[in-house]
Amino acid sequence: MKQPKILLLVVVALLPLTLVSCISGYTQLAKGWSGTTVHEGIIYVGTMDGRVVSINSSTENLEWSYSTAPVTAPSSGLSCGQTSAPTAIYGTPVVDRDIVYIGTYSGQVLALNMLARSQNLTFPQQRYGEWEWDCPIDNAKSNAIVAALLVRGDAIYLSSSNGRVYSLDKEFGDLNWESKVLDETHRKLWTSPVIQGNTLYFSAYDGHIYALSIETGELLDWSFESETGFASSPVIYGDTIFVGSFDRYLYAVKIGSDVPMWKFPQEEPAGNWFWASPVVNEDIVYAGCLDGRIYAIEAKTGGKLWAFNAGNPIVSSPVLVDNLLIVTDESGTVYVFDLSAELGDEAVPLKTISIGADVRSSFSAQEGLVYIRGEDNQLYVVDIDRGGVSWKVDLTEKEE
Amino acid sequence: MSFGEVWNLIIGNPVLNVLVALSQLLSGEFGLAIIALTVIVRLISWPLTKRQLNSTKALQEMQPKIQELQKKYGKNQQKLQQEMMKLYKEAGVNPLGCLWPMLIQFPIWIALYQAIMSALATTPESLLGLAQRLYSWDIVNQAIPLKSHFLGLDLGSSGNFIIAIIVGGTMWVQQKMSQAPAVDPRQESTQRMMTLMMPLMFGFITLMVPSGLALYWAVSNIIGIIIQYFFTGGWGYLKFRSPFKSTQ
Repeated sequence: MKQPKILLLVVVALLPLTLVSCISGYTQLAKGWSGTTVHEGIIYVGTMDGRVVSINSSTENLEWSYSTAPVTAPSSGLSCGQTSAPTAIYGTPVVDRDIVYIGTYSGQVLALNMLARSQNLTFPQQRYGEWEWDCPIDNAKSNAIVAALLVRGDAIYLSSSNGRVYSLDKEFGDLNWESKVLDETHRKLWTSPVIQGNTLYFSAYDGHIYALSIETGELLDWSFESETGFASSPVIYGDTIFVGSFDRYLYAVKIGSDVPMWKFPQEEPAGNWFWASPVVNEDIVYAGCLDGRIYAIEAKTGGKLWAFNAGNPIVSSPVLVDNLLIVTDESGTVYVFDLSAELGDEAVPLKTISIGADVRSSFSAQEGLVYIRGEDNQLYVVDIDRGGVSWKVDLTEKEE
Repeated sequence: MSFGEVWNLIIGNPVLNVLVALSQLLSGEFGLAIIALTVIVRLISWPLTKRQLNSTKALQEMQPKIQELQKKYGKNQQKLQQEMMKLYKEAGVNPLGCLWPMLIQFPIWIALYQAIMSALATTPESLLGLAQRLYSWDIVNQAIPLKSHFLGLDLGSSGNFIIAIIVGGTMWVQQKMSQAPAVDPRQESTQRMMTLMMPLMFGFITLMVPSGLALYWAVSNIIGIIIQYFFTGGWGYLKFRSPFKSTQ
């Protein structure tokens, strides 16, 4: 009788661990939250099944799609075997003339030519200016590219999970320079860089804002150090960098200064992290927070102008179109604020539209339409005037 | 409220937040935070551990009586078993008592496993998910993101052989120290199998779980060995030779 009793205890002992691991609720797979870009009537977006698609906004039809190579899903915990999974795409596609640039979680940068892709030619077609570049792992845990690429002049700038910043030649994908910025303990670079003049600035999880030469990638003398890591990508307005932090403050840092110009909120910290990059317009900073609030802050003083409580975390950066400020919360509700109207201390949105799906990705807006990729892998086109979803398209690849 | 939400509210989130807060208190070293949490869990489970140690001590003190019984009923295994069980019962000793503190720790293991995976945020989704699970304590938010390296271990990665050997080895020593002598050859065989199988299985599991959890197991075992050494005044049954070997 003793033997079965002990074996039962062993089974009881191992079952919880096995179950927890196989359920994989805590070993979250990278699914990606690529944002949308609209260029000359075509919408470009990365899908949750690892494709880059282009959709005609007039006909609502798929123009072309390109499937990135699947990856072997890493075994996590006591996971039940390895499987092939689509490559996650977090960055928003960047369109420059007839090329669409995208970075992937598997560490690739792809330059896709619209014509070559619409003809479904084998990738890459060098005569069409297509190329792919593999980010080195460099003894790191990952070479994943999470942040959006920055295309400026003849170069592309990107940050990688291996702690390095790279500059690539836009035309051929050749490496211009690489800059090792972060040490072993803070390798992840998941934020996008910004450029002002000849300097590239980026915020890091090690609590620094670094400045690099865009010509050589050399670290410049100035850097700003905070006690806590920065959660959001930085934004530059004038000579000031605005960036959200894990300590639940939004920082305004004058370039060249060692102390912050201000921190918002001025008294108690906010209810959660400032995860999304803020937007700045006419000396006003609009910052969404994971505490569910959107704040309008005076850029010079850090004083609060108004706030609005959406009730759900704001993960995506707000978008400004003319006099309209468009904000989405994680539950998929779109709030439109008329900035030309008097908003008071507690702003009231002009429109509130629900798309019925969670939203984590960045979105774009043009001519009264908002283009949002939902966490259900559908593209939603919201008509602000009509106050509802105009049309939507399923981005999941159909099996033929 | 779903089971997952209740679990997070009662166990998952408290363990996660304590771990992150400890990390901030200990110079941002997540590995030290895991060690500190291990000590805390050991302190909380002290009443159970004490009961188990008392049981082990009582078994040690009963050794002369057990040997007497073995001499007396050596040829009648059934009678020997009956008499030994009677002796255990009279002394209020449960030979399987050493397993209970381990069983009690299961929820902590699960919560710790989840906390490590959440806290080290290996994917953007898990980092974002972490925001919803952290308390609004300054000490917790200031600790993010955590350092995943400690003493050459990547606490969020699996597959480290050295820590697997340490976990298996320390578990074997701890089990050997506390395992009461078997009352019959069959139990002796089961015990021997368990003493070998459990460390082997845990060593194997260690290769598949994050090194942070393995660190918890290793430290917990080492603390267990130290406590047992001082409480029972020696290495217990580590060097004990089974009387049944000669009868087999």
